[in-house]
Amino acid sequence: MSECDFMRESMPLLLTESLDPVRREQAHSHIERCPTCGEEWNGYRESWRMLGELPEVEVPPAVKERFLASIGEEAPAATVVSFWRRTSVRWMARAAAVVVLVGGSYYAGHRGAPLQLEPTPATINSVAPAVRYSIAESRVIPATAVSPTIEGRPNIHNISFIDTNPSDDDIGVSFDITSHVTVTGRPTDKSMVRLLRYVLENEDRLSSSRSRTIDWVRATYSRPGNADPEIAEALGNVLRNDAHEGVRIKAAETLQRMGATAASDTREALIHALKNDPNPAVRIKAVEALANLAQSGATLDPATVETLRQKAMQSDENVYVRVKAAEALSAVHP
Amino acid sequence: MMMPVRTSILAAAAGLLMAANAAAGNLVVNDKITQQLPLDISGSFWIDNPVGDIEIVGIDKPGVSVTAVKTVIAADHASLKEGREQTVISFEGDKSVRLIRTLLPVVHTGDWNSSVAYTIRVPRTVHVRVAAKIARNIHIVNIRGNVTVKSFTGLIRLDDVNGASIVDTVNGKVVYKYTQRPTVNAQIQAVNADIDVHLPPDSNINWIADTLRGDVLTNLPVRAEFQGSVFRGTVNAPGGPIVSTQTLVGNVRLLGNGLDLQKLRSLRQVAISEPQPRERAMLLATPSRRIQLPIAGGAFDFATSVGDVSVGEVRGPARIQTAAGEIELGLVYGDCTVGSGGGPLDLGDIMGTLNAHTGAGDVQVRSAKEGGRISTDGGMIRLLYTSGPTTLESGGGDIIVRQAAGPINAETKSGDITITADPNQKSQKMVARTGQGNIILNLHPRFAADIDATVLTADSQANAIHSDFPGLQIERERAGSKTRIHATGKLNGGGERIELSAEDGDIHITTVTLAPVTVVPPLP
Repeated sequence: MSECDFMRESMPLLLTESLDPVRREQAHSHIERCPTCGEEWNGYRESWRMLGELPEVEVPPAVKERFLASIGEEAPAATVVSFWRRTSVRWMARAAAVVVLVGGSYYAGHRGAPLQLEPTPATINSVAPAVRYSIAESRVIPATAVSPTIEGRPNIHNISFIDTNPSDDDIGVSFDITSHVTVTGRPTDKSMVRLLRYVLENEDRLSSSRSRTIDWVRATYSRPGNADPEIAEALGNVLRNDAHEGVRIKAAETLQRMGATAASDTREALIHALKNDPNPAVRIKAVEALANLAQSGATLDPATVETLRQKAMQSDENVYVRVKAAEALSAVHP
Repeated sequence: MMMPVRTSILAAAAGLLMAANAAAGNLVVNDKITQQLPLDISGSFWIDNPVGDIEIVGIDKPGVSVTAVKTVIAADHASLKEGREQTVISFEGDKSVRLIRTLLPVVHTGDWNSSVAYTIRVPRTVHVRVAAKIARNIHIVNIRGNVTVKSFTGLIRLDDVNGASIVDTVNGKVVYKYTQRPTVNAQIQAVNADIDVHLPPDSNINWIADTLRGDVLTNLPVRAEFQGSVFRGTVNAPGGPIVSTQTLVGNVRLLGNGLDLQKLRSLRQVAISEPQPRERAMLLATPSRRIQLPIAGGAFDFATSVGDVSVGEVRGPARIQTAAGEIELGLVYGDCTVGSGGGPLDLGDIMGTLNAHTGAGDVQVRSAKEGGRISTDGGMIRLLYTSGPTTLESGGGDIIVRQAAGPINAETKSGDITITADPNQKSQKMVARTGQGNIILNLHPRFAADIDATVLTADSQANAIHSDFPGLQIERERAGSKTRIHATGKLNGGGERIELSAEDGDIHITTVTLAPVTVVPPLP
């Protein structure tokens, strides 16, 4: 069976979203690059769409009888049925049913009497007041007017960041909630910090939002005077939990640039990343941050020292990570 | 005649110390404690002393003799009192297992610090275990039992220790002197420390030496080979005990008692003296070197196990390999092949074809005139300019191409991809794929292309494909638990194919008008 044949057999399953993810991806990829199958797929989708638009009518008894009789005659007598063929037979039967249904509907629609609906009298029980909707509503709210407590888990979409006036430190965060909202204020405003923290930590949100947020946080909170422990804590949580490796790399780098590595919670996040992160770049950022901390003269706690020691001696670790761990240890004062 | 001289020197030193402390406004007090404790000749002796020297000498009679000098340095009398009270020496155990511990508070309020120096005599047949953190000197002499030492920093000396031994430290130095041929295994492990092992020249041992950045040296007859950074060999005849010496960045030396130190040879130099293929295993065997060079007059070919490389200008092709380290190059006139097992790559203007890879770390390239291949197993890639076909691959991390004047094929497992096309380009083939992240494609308003962009997202409401160019047809369909958003269309009438694929992110195709960057060719 050629790939095209196989894909065409899969199209009914694809149409009903019944394929497993791997085969679904294969089917889509094939359809995208094969013009013939693409045309076939468009035909299937068009038929499916038309089916939804057609009125539901009974199949004429004669057609139904002929169809059932033909199935009965052609039913295979074999007791062993190939696994692969079963799918195709089943779907060919379904496809035949679709054809019969469409044909029957067409037949009924054109040969049968037109459908007549009896008019029914309408009564008005109550009248609701008219609602006025505004389109593309957008509001700008100063951060000082926003409560720092975020209630529930609001669904925030399409987040963007604005520097309305480069001459001052004020920043703006725009997003869609029930309407489009822009919150403006200083980076150190508690409401602004909480809002960014929410975007960073909310795992339900798209990682693309977090990625952009971290870029913005790095640029904004690395400036002297803007570093905030809540932002550092949120970045630590991102470093621990985010599934997106690119985001974790940025989180580790941002923590280092913010000079937030001295905080115990941040340090724990770095140690966790150094011990467990599968991406070597995250481990490098983490060990470099810890090395910088050690070289700055800070006293490292025994758990940090032990982690560095283990990393230095771990033979299957990336050599660069080991060397950096050794360099950090050489500056440690236990 | 010697005694008075030594005493006077010690007195002078003590005087100097006291004067220095007095000048610094510190108060110093030494408390001396002596103790005799029973211990069987087959027993064990343990000592745990976080700060201070330790000397343990094996003698030919039972029992333990302990002399401890507790030194407290404080800023004032109250702190001195607190330091003396809170630095406690604890004698524990019985005649089978004897334990001595120095107890210090985890945190203390007063401005003081303390140390305890121990001099201990034990039966030479006992097993000895030492735990320390900061000890200028840990010295163990004449012990026949097993010896275990764990410390963090300082000099550790084992003289005439003939039982099985394990030494584990981080910084400092380890010196192990055998006066008799070793008969049982010894394992010495360190991070930054140098390791010296002295033994009779006729000893038969199996020797394992492992150092990443340091060297392996000996003046004894050795038959051996490197397996990566690990040297495995036999000294004299095979079949003896295993002496394992492992340090990450220090040197390992195996020295014959009474032999000429001038005859020390580097086993790494011997190992690479013959031309070898540059496999990773051989690369780790090469000596560790760090190089910093303003100009290489011609072709530059360099390999090291662990070391950073920094060259301002290479007037020819460059070929650089390091098992771990940073590579920094300014201008390279010819083709450039750089590889690091781990560490960032910072490359300037590469006039030939570039082939750069790091096992882990960021890669930054100013310009790749002929394009090439840039990859990292994990990390960000930033390429400011390329005018040749360029492939960029990251195992996880962003990819940024600031000005692409050649075809681009960028792929990251997870991260954002940002590509800005050269404003002089009318059309150019580009492929960008991210397993998790966003794609931003910046094009000149007159850029012509056939766009095929796909986003697979968990957010069914997401408006995931944005384009400043009109005419893109966007379709949205369910794909299992996700939504597939597919955009196709022609920009400015169509041109080279641009294929963009992002999962859990979005795609932005924007118009930008940038002044083109000019890369100055090198002077002939």
